[in-house]
Amino acid sequence: MASSETQPRFGQSVKSLLSDKVTSCSGDVIALTRQVLKGSRSQELLSQAARNMVIQEDAILHSEDSLRKMSIITTHLQYHVEHSKNLQDQLKHLMK
Amino acid sequence: MAATGDEAAAMESISKAPVPPTDLTLTLTAEPEHKTDATENQKAKRPSNNNDGGVETAEEATEPAEPDINALCRDMFDKMSVFLQGELTATCEDYKLLENMNKLTSLKYMEMKDISINISRNLQDLNQKYASLQPYLDQINQIEEQVTALEQAAYKLDTYSKKLEAKFKKLEKR
Repeated sequence: MASSETQPRFGQSVKSLLSDKVTSCSGDVIALTRQVLKGSRSQELLSQAARNMVIQEDAILHSEDSLRKMSIITTHLQYHVEHSKNLQDQLKHLMK
Repeated sequence: MAATGDEAAAMESISKAPVPPTDLTLTLTAEPEHKTDATENQKAKRPSNNNDGGVETAEEATEPAEPDINALCRDMFDKMSVFLQGELTATCEDYKLLENMNKLTSLKYMEMKDISINISRNLQDLNQKYASLQPYLDQINQIEEQVTALEQAAYKLDTYSKKLEAKFKKLEKR
């Protein structure tokens, strides 16, 4: 495969062969790294996960808003019950 | 005899002749940056012709190693490692982004959990208070029913009394 290419050709020095070999090796390493990253599909999956989370954010904020409103309504109901209890005490006093 | 002496002198002059230009030196002269290398090449090993028993031998013309080749190699590998780290950093950054988003979402859910715990506690108290108020509410309902019945009875009494008054007046006219 590469042995025939590494044989010195007419007019080609060992130095240029070595530099070509180093260049091809570095290119192979870069291509291998890129292929590994592409084959793992990590970029696609992670970007899809981030996109889904952004879509869910609106629902989460709405849920939080609803819960806060429920807590306010519950507090108001407690005030009403307290007022009713006060009225009950007044009624008891009046019935006596 | 003189001819052989002349021939020997000619052979010596040929052996001492300068090295013919090789590919190595030609490529070096094409690059003006490596002029010093060219001069060094000229000083490098030259193919020496040795005569061993009448057989000429020659050595390959080699170029001396550049003094900064180690630094260049180190620089090359450093830059390769930086490039590969950069390639892998992109995926790491994606993971970090997802991690941060998950952390923020978990914090939001924890707040919502606290709010919902408060709401459930308040609702339980409310149910208890409503249960304690229930008999009074039942009494109020009973009172309302009785008042409604009383009102109906009052209406009936009113109509009956009006009928009675009309009859009495009729009888009085006779």
